[in-house]
Amino acid sequence: MQKAPERKKVSDQDTELINAINSGRSSLFYDLVKEYEEKLYNFGLRMCRETRDAEDMVQETFLNVYRYLSDFRHESKFKTWLYRIAASVCIKKRRKSKFAPQREISLEDFIPENIENIPDSLPYWASEPLEKLLNDELSDNIRKAILTLPEKYRIVLVLRDIEGFSTEETAQILNLKPASVKVRLHRARLFLKEKLNDYFTA
Amino acid sequence: MREKNHDHKECISIFRKLSEYIDGELDEKAYEEMRTHINECMKCEVCLETLRRTADLCRGMKTREIPDRLRERLKSMVHGPSNP
Repeated sequence: MQKAPERKKVSDQDTELINAINSGRSSLFYDLVKEYEEKLYNFGLRMCRETRDAEDMVQETFLNVYRYLSDFRHESKFKTWLYRIAASVCIKKRRKSKFAPQREISLEDFIPENIENIPDSLPYWASEPLEKLLNDELSDNIRKAILTLPEKYRIVLVLRDIEGFSTEETAQILNLKPASVKVRLHRARLFLKEKLNDYFTA
Repeated sequence: MREKNHDHKECISIFRKLSEYIDGELDEKAYEEMRTHINECMKCEVCLETLRRTADLCRGMKTREIPDRLRERLKSMVHGPSNP
């Protein structure tokens, strides 16, 4: 039988630490936790409505990482593998929860019916320097707006625009085709753009 | 004259590809075609820049510190509960 070709190994900033943990120095696992706990917690806050759920997600993710770290084959960056676990914990939690409306967002809903209605100048929130706009209140409002996105769009937007993963990496994390990532991201951004426009013009 | 009289069908087709334009995921020919249109169409520029700003605002969102109780939970998960 022909052997499957071996995938190229990916080396990153965590490789040395992971190799040390996997070769028996399990006390170093906490270093890995410290490195990612805050990032994962903030990811959780953008994916879960309740702070408690975000906390549970972080703990469950690290438990799974601890359990399966010896199976990590370095075929992706560790961070990509970690978020694959975190995303799957989020999705499982969502399925268990009683509110799980998974509605579709249609691109057609955002296509302006009458082009003439689009303003002829940039609104201030798109022309002011970013630093002038960003504050805790706005961040809180963006989070609330993100939470109103159906989950399959929200997770793509969070991974791409907040966590900074590439289209390819996001596709790997969510087991999707890159083309689907692009479609969902575009719709999610359009949805959020309208929410932000409402917020800034209220 | 910034605004040219053009068929808005082109604007709709541009609208569908704005995210790929922002993310640099179009081939060179498609990118140049869009760039030329956007340079001449203020309405498409507004759509582009508000969408770009949406992504930038997400990227710049403030993060929260991890609560002490979660930090403690994680610590005791790894090291076992600490003695009082």
